[in-house]
Amino acid sequence: MIDKDLSVDFMGVHFENPFLLSSSPVGNCYDMCAKAFDEGWGGVVFKTIGPKHFKIDEVSPRFDELTKEGTPFVGFKNMEQIAEHPLEENLHDLKKLKENYPDKIVVASIMGTNEEDWEELAQLVTEAKADMIEMNLSCPQMTSHEMGSDVGTNPELVKKYCAAVKRGSDLPMMAKMTPNITDMVPAAKASMDGGADGIATINTVKSISNIDLDKKVALPIVNGKSSISGFSGKAVKPIALRFIQQLRTAAGMELLPISGIGGIETWQDAAEFILLGATTLQVTTSVMQYGYRIVEDMKNGLMHYMEEQHVDHLSDLIGLATKNIVPAEDLDRDYKVYPKIDWDKCIGCGRCYISCFDGAHQAITWDEEKRRPSVNINRCVGCQLCNLVCPVGAITTGEKVMKPGRQGKAEDKQVDSSRLTHF
Amino acid sequence: MSKKYETETPSYTMTTVMEEAARCLLCHDAPCSQACPAHTDPGKFIRSVRFRNVKGAAETIRENNALGAICARVCPTEKYCELACSRTGIDSPIDIGGIQRYVTDFEQQAKMDILKKGDSNGKTIAIVGSGPAGLQTATTMLERGYAVDIYEKSEKAGGYLTYGIPEYRLPQDIVDFEIKRIVNLGADIHYNVTVGKDITMDDLKANHDAVVVAVGASEAKSLSIFAGNDYVESAVDFLARVKDAKGDITDVPQNAVVIGGGDVAMDVATTLKRLDAKNVTDVAYEEFDEFRASKKELEGTRKAGVTIVDGYVPSAVDDNVVTFKHRKIDSELKIKADKIILAIGQQINADNLGINIERGVVPYVGYKTEDPKVYITGDIAKGDQTVVWAVRKGKKVADLVDQTLLGGTK
Ligand SMILES: Cc1cc2nc3c(=O)[nH]c(=O)nc-3n(C[C@H](O)[C@H](O)[C@H](O)COP(=O)(O)OP(=O)(O)OC[C@H]3O[C@@H](n4cnc5c(N)ncnc54)[C@H](O)[C@@H]3O)c2cc1C
Ligand SMILES: Cc1cc2nc3c(=O)[nH]c(=O)nc-3n(C[C@H](O)[C@H](O)[C@H](O)COP(=O)(O)O)c2cc1C
Ligand code: SF4
Ligand code: SF4
Ligand code: SF4
Repeated sequence: MIDKDLSVDFMGVHFENPFLLSSSPVGNCYDMCAKAFDEGWGGVVFKTIGPKHFKIDEVSPRFDELTKEGTPFVGFKNMEQIAEHPLEENLHDLKKLKENYPDKIVVASIMGTNEEDWEELAQLVTEAKADMIEMNLSCPQMTSHEMGSDVGTNPELVKKYCAAVKRGSDLPMMAKMTPNITDMVPAAKASMDGGADGIATINTVKSISNIDLDKKVALPIVNGKSSISGFSGKAVKPIALRFIQQLRTAAGMELLPISGIGGIETWQDAAEFILLGATTLQVTTSVMQYGYRIVEDMKNGLMHYMEEQHVDHLSDLIGLATKNIVPAEDLDRDYKVYPKIDWDKCIGCGRCYISCFDGAHQAITWDEEKRRPSVNINRCVGCQLCNLVCPVGAITTGEKVMKPGRQGKAEDKQVDSSRLTHF
Repeated sequence: MSKKYETETPSYTMTTVMEEAARCLLCHDAPCSQACPAHTDPGKFIRSVRFRNVKGAAETIRENNALGAICARVCPTEKYCELACSRTGIDSPIDIGGIQRYVTDFEQQAKMDILKKGDSNGKTIAIVGSGPAGLQTATTMLERGYAVDIYEKSEKAGGYLTYGIPEYRLPQDIVDFEIKRIVNLGADIHYNVTVGKDITMDDLKANHDAVVVAVGASEAKSLSIFAGNDYVESAVDFLARVKDAKGDITDVPQNAVVIGGGDVAMDVATTLKRLDAKNVTDVAYEEFDEFRASKKELEGTRKAGVTIVDGYVPSAVDDNVVTFKHRKIDSELKIKADKIILAIGQQINADNLGINIERGVVPYVGYKTEDPKVYITGDIAKGDQTVVWAVRKGKKVADLVDQTLLGGTK
């Protein structure tokens, strides 16, 4: 079995591997976190701890899922707030975890309603021997507007509360951002100004996942009503990656320490976050669906990827893709690439023909007799939609040509991706 | 090579294997994994595929089963892992063999080298026979640091993998590749050496710390009425001949009768059809509801166009005319054929190996014999006579030898 160094250093703390449970029910108590450690997670962000005076009162049921064709959990909606367990119990669990798992990293997630709360909670979790603090500035379904994403979208409050936490503790601290904002940079900058050492992102996206068509209520139905609340899982991965890219390319934030969150379920997802600049990775939804065991394939798969990339340390991969994502106006628009159809592989389903006709440029001719597609290059614009829909990989990128009147060598254009063949 | 004889069924593509893996319920304490005789752990490798970690899946298969690519093709999965599959409660079991084949093909294409030789512990083991049991025993011993010599009476290694199971079910390339892995790991195979004739057991015992006998059941059984009949050939001789000639044999019969109702009979009958024999009739002692052949094989044989008659026993033969009688009802059947192939089972030939054989089977319960230096494994040891069981028995005997010699290193 392959064995590679997955350890990373993040905000001055050493992690045996970058995988953490993100703050949520997957890290609700000692027994859960202990099991996760036993199954190989590098750390946990314990379920967000709130102040004593804030009474948690949850709804039932509280989840919903978005599906597509046969696939469950394309996305996941939750209406949970913060820790349901009493403050003392949570602090006790943090302490016990650190005692019994000294090499694993315990991060305390906290949330207050005012500066005093934040400062006091920071103090308490520091006394409980947590390794790090994460400030939850981002839960989108709090019953108080002094908490959660309403705070996280307000840079002034963000800065003030970060400073309060820093007064209460010397521990490394990251601020967890909400994606329910057009530009995350001002909020992230405000948190750094307030003393944050890094950023965790994203929390859940405000959503309505499904509506019950008979009862005319969104799901889940809580005694006849529902609310807008947070969406997570695979469907939010592209949104999370986009925010990370925007943070790491903002002036002065190129080396910003990031804990990436949002839809991670395979080693490939993990690698994508790392390549865009995340150092640690946090996961909830896929753990809720499949259990802690998914870390096995994430770690092992990442090791194989490192081997293929000839790197000995995971940290060598951090941020390697950042520079290759540029503004749309900077892209090369001088050439196009035609699809190439391998008739030996083609099973004659005609999906490429349909998609090209109905969704592209009517550039595939269909031989009804032989059930065979061929490309009419006079119409083909090189969008490669056919390539994406072919169920058997019979379509690949083929000949590259320059657009009329443009300079340059078409052969030199790089368009191939191992993404599809790589598996 | 005849295209018809050689062609394997197509494998999954990346998209379709994900679809099949997505059908898997990812069971807790997976029943399929418990049901695999060799502990290949399908529950784990299917989960790896589901989470897009095909390399990890390959590691799981290879580390548990040195013949993973072969088992993927020939395992009677319906009797083992797929029989236990929870998905059956919804519709039909996961195609575990098919997923395993995809993963091991990937492993080969990606040139993965998963097995690692253990640090030498100075001990040396002799293995008699290079069938699946001998090969797995060798692998486990090598992984644990033992030196391994395999003595094989044939020109090629693999036992029935090479000289039995037909090309269209198990391409020889796959067998050769799996054997090469084990040779690369350090197995020293001595070909054309019949132990008990070219070299004695005493020689092996003198030069090795233990001897593992894995000679299989390589001799065809016969019936006295067929003795000396020129039209008769044994199933295993016929299959070995066809495989060796890559399907290019000159005496393909027009009319053939195959006697037997197991997988071997199905292989012979289907092979004949694939070689373009006109009429192939298989006559079996068993009735369909008690057939020994796997459903998959029986179905394939029927599809190939073989006539199958169940419940009849050969009672007389006159040159090339065989008379059969029904076991229960008063009924007789006469078939004239230019070739009569007997697929009524194989037996152990352990001449001069110092192994006790009583009524065709060994009297030992486990893998030990009365000689403390000599062990048995594979088809000659108790348990199912399948490739995956040969793998299981290979792992078990290696464990036992290791325990005995060094107290177990793993
Ligand atoms: C036609 C056919 C089809 C089959 N199909 C399937 C199938 O689809 N699935 C399945 O699971 N199983 C199948 N089997 C059964 C399977 O092949 C056997 O269970 C398996 O090969 C047994 O492994 P083994 O290592 O014990 O013996 P073998 O494979 O019989 O190997 C024994 C080896 O020992 C060598 N040997 C024998 N005597 C000596 C000696 N004195 N000195 C040196 N070498 C010696 C032989 O040459 C041979 O190479 C099939 C068998 C046959 C015959
Ligand atoms: C049921 C549920 C409860 C959550 N509770 C919290 C919480 O208490 N504190 C917090 O910071 N984030 C909370 N989150 C957000 C997650 O930590 C994470 O940021 C988000 O789900 C995206 O990651 P994922 O796609 O891996 O689930 C919760 C998410 C879910 C699904
Ligand atoms: S998941 Fe557990 S806690 Fe939630 S409703 Fe089901 S049984 Fe209850
Ligand atoms: S989508 Fe693929 S398989 Fe279908 S017709 Fe096109 S090339 Fe052939
Ligand atoms: S028993 Fe079937 S459904 Fe369950 S893990 Fe195994 S293959 Fe998947």
